[in-house]
Amino acid sequence: MSVSREEVLRIAQLAELDVDDDTLPTLAEQMSRILDYVAQLSAVPANGSVKAFVPGPDAIRFRADEVTPSQLAFGPDEFAPDFKEGFFVVPKLGQFE
Amino acid sequence: MSDAKAVADRLVKAKRLNALLTPPKDLRKSLNMQVAAARPTGVLYGMPVAVKDNICTLEFTTSCGSRILEGFRSPYEATAVAKLKAAGALIAGKTNCDEFGMGSSTEHSAYGRVLHPLDKTRVPGGSSGGSAALVAAGAVPAALGSETGGSVRQPAAFCGVVGIKPTYGRVSRYGLVAFGSSLDQIGVFGRSVHDAARVLSVISGRDPRDSTCEDRDPLRLPTVPESLQGFVIGLPKEYFPSELDPAVRRACDRAIRMMKELGAAVREVSLPHTPYAVPTYYVIAPAEASSNLARYDGVRYGPRFNGATDLRGLYRATRGQGFGPEVRRRILVGTYVLSSGYYDAYYRRAQQMRALIAQDFRNVFDRGVDLLFTPTVPSPAFKAGEKLADPIAMYMSDIFTVTANLAGLPAISLPIGRVKGLPVGGQLIGQAFLEDEMIEAAYALERVVPPTDEA
Repeated sequence: MSVSREEVLRIAQLAELDVDDDTLPTLAEQMSRILDYVAQLSAVPANGSVKAFVPGPDAIRFRADEVTPSQLAFGPDEFAPDFKEGFFVVPKLGQFE
Repeated sequence: MSDAKAVADRLVKAKRLNALLTPPKDLRKSLNMQVAAARPTGVLYGMPVAVKDNICTLEFTTSCGSRILEGFRSPYEATAVAKLKAAGALIAGKTNCDEFGMGSSTEHSAYGRVLHPLDKTRVPGGSSGGSAALVAAGAVPAALGSETGGSVRQPAAFCGVVGIKPTYGRVSRYGLVAFGSSLDQIGVFGRSVHDAARVLSVISGRDPRDSTCEDRDPLRLPTVPESLQGFVIGLPKEYFPSELDPAVRRACDRAIRMMKELGAAVREVSLPHTPYAVPTYYVIAPAEASSNLARYDGVRYGPRFNGATDLRGLYRATRGQGFGPEVRRRILVGTYVLSSGYYDAYYRRAQQMRALIAQDFRNVFDRGVDLLFTPTVPSPAFKAGEKLADPIAMYMSDIFTVTANLAGLPAISLPIGRVKGLPVGGQLIGQAFLEDEMIEAAYALERVVPPTDEA
């Protein structure tokens, strides 16, 4: 298996995602199969001269540098889970490593 | 002008498909208001258009088929939706879909699976399965969907309707909830090529709110041609492998014969990097998704899954409980391929392969080929549950559609026959921003191919 359970937990931490013990074995197995499957790309010789392809306009168009008021039909007090006096309320920050 | 009650009645009648997420009461109330306000001068005046639930509307909630946005009311609407309303169309509710567009069967919705309109034991395809099913059931003449890897064309093929994925940059993505930003594009479903094309024409064109939307006028609709004289149609050999379902091949052969009879020159071509398209897609799309979906954290919008005592715990609990299994898998795969140590092996390699896949298409088009014809999907609609435990089997359903997304090209799927009663789709892939040519050929093919005859 290319991805261990410990690795899944480490990646889940990077992704800020709780993974419970029940789903961990299946998840590790499925992720391994997906990563083994996409690993066939490495069979193709790396070619540093190939320029990445990005669809869309050739150059980024910039908007005029003007302040425009946001055109929301209603404010965050109507869609935020907890919003008081102009602020989004969250639990205490806790420990961030 | 359609009356609001008749429009709503047709949608409510299709309730058993679980294709519509909008409750009947909300639908009726909104349609009454929309009919009263609709502009009688618009080119889509009175036309009901159902909208996939990952496209923001002011009329209805936008959940993306996810618990993490359950009940979310967007404070703004997508440009495509605003353009539909300006043309007099009625926004006929929100359609069920795979969560955030991740899936090929509409079984990955937090609100239950969508049933295939012709066989309830089968899937309608996905991720825009709700939109496809409603058009196929005759509940609406057209619907909006979205594509990242085939999510309009694949369900269109499964359900026996027309689905168009326009060139990347043809339609504004403003208000389309992001999944893979370099691949995402709003697409359309229609009962006929014309219904789909006229909706596409309305929603296309420049938008200052989306810098990836090209500065071009809206798409002009071609006229229905008498023949395909002058068209050179390429048949990429990699799309007709020996293991292709024989009945799908028969349906394609019949369509190819008819295009020849209409005067088209048909020749075999090769897109040699096709075998790498699905693995390339399943690196790039999850990588972009892991980044785009970082915004769902239970702080600014959407429900909050509590029980956490600190902020990080809130993020993890909300995301852990709010996202379904397929979305979790893709976020983790995306985080993995972008993490240091793996970026070069997976992500950079996939970006290079994407460039080679796009170059394959340019090579063929540069040699005088106007359009490519392929099957849309390797087989007709599969049984519900059949591919749920095997993500890779599910991903292979996109094998003939992901390439157009990777290369940013327009493509259309239209019904070209049936296999044991189940629809088969044929696909035309066009050159960037030449949707008019592609639609012209589709008009011609649609006139001669028997969409419901056994192949």
